[in-house]
Amino acid sequence: MTVLTHAFTPGPIVASGPVKLTLMAPVARFSLRLRAASIPAVSKALGVDLPTTVGERAASGTTEAICLGPDEWMIIAKPDDTDTLVSACADIYASATHSLTEVSAREITVRIEGDRAAELLTIGCPRDIDSIPVGGGCRTVIDGVTVVLWRDAEQSFRMDIWRSFAMHIIDLLCTGCKEFAAE
Amino acid sequence: MSSFRVSGRGRVDHTQPIQFTFDGKKIKGFKGDTVASALLANGIHLMGRSFKYHRPRGAVTAGSEEPNALVGTRRGPGRFEPNTRATVQEIWDGLQVNSQNRYPSLSFDVGAINDKAYMLFSAGFYYKTFMWPKSFWDKVYEPFIRAAAGLGVSPTEPDPDHYASRYLHTDVLIIGAGPAGLAAALTAARAGSRVTLVDENPEAGGSLLSEPSVMIEDIPAWDWVAKTVAELKELGVKLMTRTTAIGYYHQNFVGLCEKLTDHLASPDGETPRERMWRVRAKQVVLAQGALEKPLVFDGNDRPGVMLAGSAQTYLNRYGVRVGDKAVIVTSHDSAWYAAFDLADAGTAIAAIVDTRAEPNADLVAEATKRGIRIMAGHTVTGTEGRLRVKSVRVNPVTGSSVGAPEIIGCDCLLMSGGWTPSLHLFSHTKGTLKWDEERQTFLPDHKAEECEIAGAGRGLWGIEAVLNDGAKMGAAAVKSLGKTAKAASYAVAHDRPGTGVSHKELPTDLDAGKARAFVDYQNDVTAKDLRLAVREGMRSIEHVKRYTTNGMATDQGKMSNINGLNIASDALGVPQPKVGLTTFRPPYTPTTFGAFCGYHKGSHFEVTRKTPIDSWAEENGAAYEPVSLWRRAWYFPKEGEDMHAAVDRECRATRASVGIFDASTLGKIEVVGPDAVEFMNRMYTNPWTKLAPGRARYGLLLGDDGFIRDDGVIGRLADDRFHVTTTTGGAARVLNMMEDYLQTEWPDLDVWLTSTTEQWATIALNGPNARKVLEPFVEGLDMSDEAFPHMSVAECRVGGFPARLFRISFTGEVGFEVNVPAHAGRALWEMLFEAGKKYDICPYGTETMHVLRAEKGYIIVGQDTDGTVTPHDAGLSWAIGKMKPDFVGKRGLARPDLVAEGRKQLIGLLTEDGKTKLEEGAQIVLDPNQPKPMKMVGHVTSSYHSDAAGRPIAMALLEDGFNRMGETIYIPMPDRVIKATVTGTVFYDPEGARLKL
Amino acid sequence: MLLIHCPYCNQTLPEAEFTYAGEAHIARPADPSSVSDEEWRDFLFIRTNVKGPHYERWRHFYGCGRYFNAVRDTVSDRFLITYKTDDPRPELSKLLEKSK
Repeated sequence: MTVLTHAFTPGPIVASGPVKLTLMAPVARFSLRLRAASIPAVSKALGVDLPTTVGERAASGTTEAICLGPDEWMIIAKPDDTDTLVSACADIYASATHSLTEVSAREITVRIEGDRAAELLTIGCPRDIDSIPVGGGCRTVIDGVTVVLWRDAEQSFRMDIWRSFAMHIIDLLCTGCKEFAAE
Repeated sequence: MSSFRVSGRGRVDHTQPIQFTFDGKKIKGFKGDTVASALLANGIHLMGRSFKYHRPRGAVTAGSEEPNALVGTRRGPGRFEPNTRATVQEIWDGLQVNSQNRYPSLSFDVGAINDKAYMLFSAGFYYKTFMWPKSFWDKVYEPFIRAAAGLGVSPTEPDPDHYASRYLHTDVLIIGAGPAGLAAALTAARAGSRVTLVDENPEAGGSLLSEPSVMIEDIPAWDWVAKTVAELKELGVKLMTRTTAIGYYHQNFVGLCEKLTDHLASPDGETPRERMWRVRAKQVVLAQGALEKPLVFDGNDRPGVMLAGSAQTYLNRYGVRVGDKAVIVTSHDSAWYAAFDLADAGTAIAAIVDTRAEPNADLVAEATKRGIRIMAGHTVTGTEGRLRVKSVRVNPVTGSSVGAPEIIGCDCLLMSGGWTPSLHLFSHTKGTLKWDEERQTFLPDHKAEECEIAGAGRGLWGIEAVLNDGAKMGAAAVKSLGKTAKAASYAVAHDRPGTGVSHKELPTDLDAGKARAFVDYQNDVTAKDLRLAVREGMRSIEHVKRYTTNGMATDQGKMSNINGLNIASDALGVPQPKVGLTTFRPPYTPTTFGAFCGYHKGSHFEVTRKTPIDSWAEENGAAYEPVSLWRRAWYFPKEGEDMHAAVDRECRATRASVGIFDASTLGKIEVVGPDAVEFMNRMYTNPWTKLAPGRARYGLLLGDDGFIRDDGVIGRLADDRFHVTTTTGGAARVLNMMEDYLQTEWPDLDVWLTSTTEQWATIALNGPNARKVLEPFVEGLDMSDEAFPHMSVAECRVGGFPARLFRISFTGEVGFEVNVPAHAGRALWEMLFEAGKKYDICPYGTETMHVLRAEKGYIIVGQDTDGTVTPHDAGLSWAIGKMKPDFVGKRGLARPDLVAEGRKQLIGLLTEDGKTKLEEGAQIVLDPNQPKPMKMVGHVTSSYHSDAAGRPIAMALLEDGFNRMGETIYIPMPDRVIKATVTGTVFYDPEGARLKL
Repeated sequence: MLLIHCPYCNQTLPEAEFTYAGEAHIARPADPSSVSDEEWRDFLFIRTNVKGPHYERWRHFYGCGRYFNAVRDTVSDRFLITYKTDDPRPELSKLLEKSK
């Protein structure tokens, strides 16, 4: 088990056992807010068809979108694409008003994978993990902290955690990994 | 091994001897034994002393309902648990067990004097005994009560174990893995449901473990259990043993406490001791069986007096005969079978005393076949024996007359007063109960949750009836889920069905007033106490319970409730259903605090938020203070400095040259959209329309009641984009409030809010040299006073990072706040700190920040305001856009109370001696010589030593403060009265000259 | 812990994701300056505090972030319905009928 610091250097945290934890490399991240009328124009600008059901995701190339609320999406992209995305959205702002706010540094992301990854989440997450489909996600709560969960495979998740809460949640997940390994 | 162990019998492993200690004495048992079964195998019945009278007590049950045999268990330092039930604790090599509530020893206890003085300790004795004289209360009575109170001794060391928790979602949760639960699980799992089956015992089987002679579908009961468990596992059923359902809450939310290591000789250290499961089930099946009731007669608590069903369990499950010579006293058929099993195992049965005149003829025949003496229509009126029962007093009963006694020698007395369905969890849900006249007990009636009750919980008796009911209820649960299930029908041979009658205390020929006939063993409540309570005016069963403490011990009256009800009902002359039951509450059995805490202990007790710069502060010796969930650098002491010296130095350095401060915890909200300015106008008191992009303004946020909620500097980045800052503690609250107004009052506004608190690390540079330190790092911005004056904001690059740079001041000095992406915070901080060294840059913490702002009279919301302070009260009327038609709080400010004269207003205070620092929170009076209670006219909100002012300064909320400038007020303290003069709140640079470059 | 149906997510989720937000259908007067002191007092402070079905607000704080309305029986702690903020106030008699 790697000792994690607040520098949040990407790499393995728990490298073996029934669940593995990995701190992921930074991505460009945007909070996108808009009304339904702007969805087509903004989808076009981003190059991703914004899903309209809470919890659904869409992706195009390296750009991903998850619908977190009826008027809210999280957009993930390559850091290099930041300027392109920002200016594409700015170009259509006048006709398709929205809020695009960069939050790349706000959250850090942990990959949770392994045979018992879904079960590991149950040590702090009251939501029925089985209700999150593969390829979907949600904003939810774990141990009192808001997180965004992305289910990429049956036993592979990404968890976005606000930076100052991340140590607390990762500490809990590490405790869980030890507990699982002892079983 | 002792003569009480029956060779080869039971489910204990006779090939695996285990040694533990009881009060220091070595005791041998087998793997699978509980402390109680191992002690009984060694002929030891005396296991504890009772709570009030210190009467000798032994195990009366074989399960978690045990009221008597409470012991302390130890596993090395810190691992001590008082009040462990010896009937549940499994033994392991090296386990240390100690008896409780005795001094100097279990067999000779001086506290037993209470027993001789029992007349003094009757119901309500606390209320009667400790009333007078009043002066005795704190010197005599309270110390006495405290010394005598409680059972067992609390551990004093921190608990070294760790605990865990999980959430679980399941289709069908079945509580109890006895015959009903197993049959229900099998039915539900075969129908394809996700099934979770839990049992508090180390293994599944329940009552079947005590009935090995029963044949189910032509298979011996134990083989059937093994086969069923195997099939359940095959079907994917989650079977959890040593797991107690402790509480049943709304919408089928059930708490389970799983014990993981208490039975192990050497736990691995990683496995948690206990795990709390929070289960959400679509359907719940309660298959918790029934608990046997004691009979109530004089001396029914002596060691050796035990429930007959428990004696049967000790024999069949643990291979232990509880005595060599037993007397049975019963009002239910079930005890007869216990007698037969014991007789067949070699225990002499001196007599079966049945309170019924005509017991079941088949049973009588069976007993006769074994040569057992039958005393039908008899009562027990007393027992003898100091530390163990040695004889029983039995009398014939004819009608209402009790005949002459006969003394029968014995070493154990096995009783049964019938069985009470275990409906505790059902009662947690507010499910209602109905009195069943025939069975003389409460049965489930109206259900409040999606659940089924199966087996003995519904008053059924006999393995076949219970198995078939379990299957039926498993099918019912599955049907509610929209699936179909076929309930199997089980044929059982050698079944032991039976019936019984229920009693109040047994009839006696002796003075009932002197009988020590216990109803609640753990709290030492007798039948006489209950009758006394009724005589003294208690009518409601809830009052009777509290007056006598019947059912208030840790077992919550599992065994005493119905007996207590029968007696209270008789004393009141009102039938049982009219008297009613007291309320069962979670947890079902005592549960450790550790299980409830789960992971939340030590460093994980709660979230500790840290900024991106926190690690630098730690490396540089910062002292910390908690601010909401954050830990913030408080001050940076140098070698030999105390807080006062450090803060003075930090203040001086900042005002003289430059200080650097981590302001990353400030809340930040991005307000974006075409209606952003309209939203800001409605939300904050200030006018925003004319604030040009690139400019910043102090913003004040009120509630609609007109009181100050929050404040912060707000920069306009573009026509439709604001960077709002909030207080550290207010960040989440302010965003919540803004979303509330936006979503529910003004959904028409085209504006959106995003929290960016953690996007940005914020570094504040303050002091006359602040610009000199910062300027070399800034790209794309003219930092001259003209181009970038006080209260400006710009997007630029600082130290190579994209930045939002504010020129603002919370110190009265020239100040800048640099926001860079959080991951760049520490790097930029180090760059600035390095470059600032030639200006003697000084890192400062929150305390210096507080002093510097107080010197300038800047308020801290939540410290100088308390939710009842208006902008006017705080001297902030200038921040109100009076021309705006509306903003949150505008109408509130016009409320009569808020415009009234003489409100508490924020003023400055200078102590007259110029040396005394006031205490924050100290109360203010106008006349220190007035009689007490004095009229308090305000309180000190902020108080510091000010290096700049060369004296202590303070702010206070004072009634009519603005009209008291120059007046003397008084602050009474425990040792003296401090005089202070009312002043303005600005103690330094009142003209603001230092804000200019 | 209750289960609460979020009308925006259209999912029934654990209470831990939600926060309570007071009584529902208390609209802020459109022109606060025109209302009397008594009316403003009532808007700020006076609540029905019913024993039984209560119209109240919740926020899916840890989820979609939306405020929504609900009718919950304060005696049984059961939700009769949850609905979007701009949906009309459902009639109690119909809800009670339905819950039977």
